[in-house]
Amino acid sequence: MVAGMNAGLPKPSQVVSLQDIPGLRGMIVEADGAVRIAAMTVHAAVAAESRLAGGLAVVREAALQIAHPAIRNMGTLGGSLADADPNADYPCALLAAGADIELAGPRGRRICPVDAFFLGRFTTALAAGEIIVGVKLPPPALEETSTYLKFSRVDGDYATVSVAVRMGWRDGACTAIRIALGSCGGTPIRVPSAERALVGTKLDVAALRIAAGAYVAACDPPSDFRGTADYRRMIIPGLLERAVRNALNADRGIRS
Amino acid sequence: MSTDRTTLSFHVNGDPQAVAIPIHRTLLEVLRDELALTGAKKGCNTGTCGACNVLVDDVMIRSCLRLAVSVAECKVTTVEGLARNGMPSVVQQAFLDAGAIQCGFCMTGMIVSASALLAQNPAPTRDEIRIAISGNLCRCSGYVKVVDAIELAASRFRQGNAAEAAAMEIRI
Repeated sequence: MVAGMNAGLPKPSQVVSLQDIPGLRGMIVEADGAVRIAAMTVHAAVAAESRLAGGLAVVREAALQIAHPAIRNMGTLGGSLADADPNADYPCALLAAGADIELAGPRGRRICPVDAFFLGRFTTALAAGEIIVGVKLPPPALEETSTYLKFSRVDGDYATVSVAVRMGWRDGACTAIRIALGSCGGTPIRVPSAERALVGTKLDVAALRIAAGAYVAACDPPSDFRGTADYRRMIIPGLLERAVRNALNADRGIRS
Repeated sequence: MSTDRTTLSFHVNGDPQAVAIPIHRTLLEVLRDELALTGAKKGCNTGTCGACNVLVDDVMIRSCLRLAVSVAECKVTTVEGLARNGMPSVVQQAFLDAGAIQCGFCMTGMIVSASALLAQNPAPTRDEIRIAISGNLCRCSGYVKVVDAIELAASRFRQGNAAEAAAMEIRI
């Protein structure tokens, strides 16, 4: 926001800092394994969280790939989500993770599932006067794995295309999967029908190609200096396959 | 933009400071325009280039992206504060000796990044060094000598108690 102010827009009449509000920083693991990350937790702290493993590694890996060290020391989870930049890393990762966004406002607290939170470019389900308090990540199951794969022109840039995956894997087959695609439209997207079709498969190349085709068809990528829409569509299948393979290799030592 | 003013109290390079500022001033503007500490540069002013890097309570940040009022009562260290008794710090001397200074504009931010890195990781690999300065843009594109300089500083630290010495450099 300060970067925007320095550039001449926006010109807020008032700025309210959340930095000294107790309880808005840090991460806790609840009894059932669910993880709550408070909104003012900086990216560097999330990137260093070894407790974000297995099905939740996707969130840590995204935090680690946001911009550069000094920015990761300043930027916050809540700030990134509220900004809702379509090219940002956290929105895509949290969509795959299936997070609940916890909001607070004059009329109390409410939970917004991540699937309903991002409405468009820089637009969220936040109502006037509401703030993000934190996110809750569903408990990781034993057989779960996840990853965040970012393709960018140079280290620290926004993604040209990114893919986040959270999935279950048991006895050589996929038991559940969420795949989010970033930088390919106004919001990160999922294609639930394509995800459902992968459940029960071995996540072999043929099955992943079909899923990738559905994501290519469903997305609406921009053409900008990071790449044309066609270029983005072209790299989605390879990136999606690689993300799934990386997730499997990370925890299971299995090559698809 | 508001014309409200406030008095900001904080510590800069070990000295207590109290300056009257408009509330929308960035930390970078206060350091440069109010305190005449021009080591941190205003490059892009949007958080991209890294020339304005400083330490707030020993954590490296972009001073162009912090509103000055948000560092009230904090300890700010600029590149000027890394020197001791008028002598360059180990990192600063290594940049001089390795010929890494070049045009100089990005260099103060590079030195702050290097000092922050070595305080956490006194024996970084070249890859770790490159990641640490990945947020510092150099228009001379002379990154190789910068990496050499940080390796040189690390090797000089290793001759003493590395972690302690590196941490000392950013603590005032």
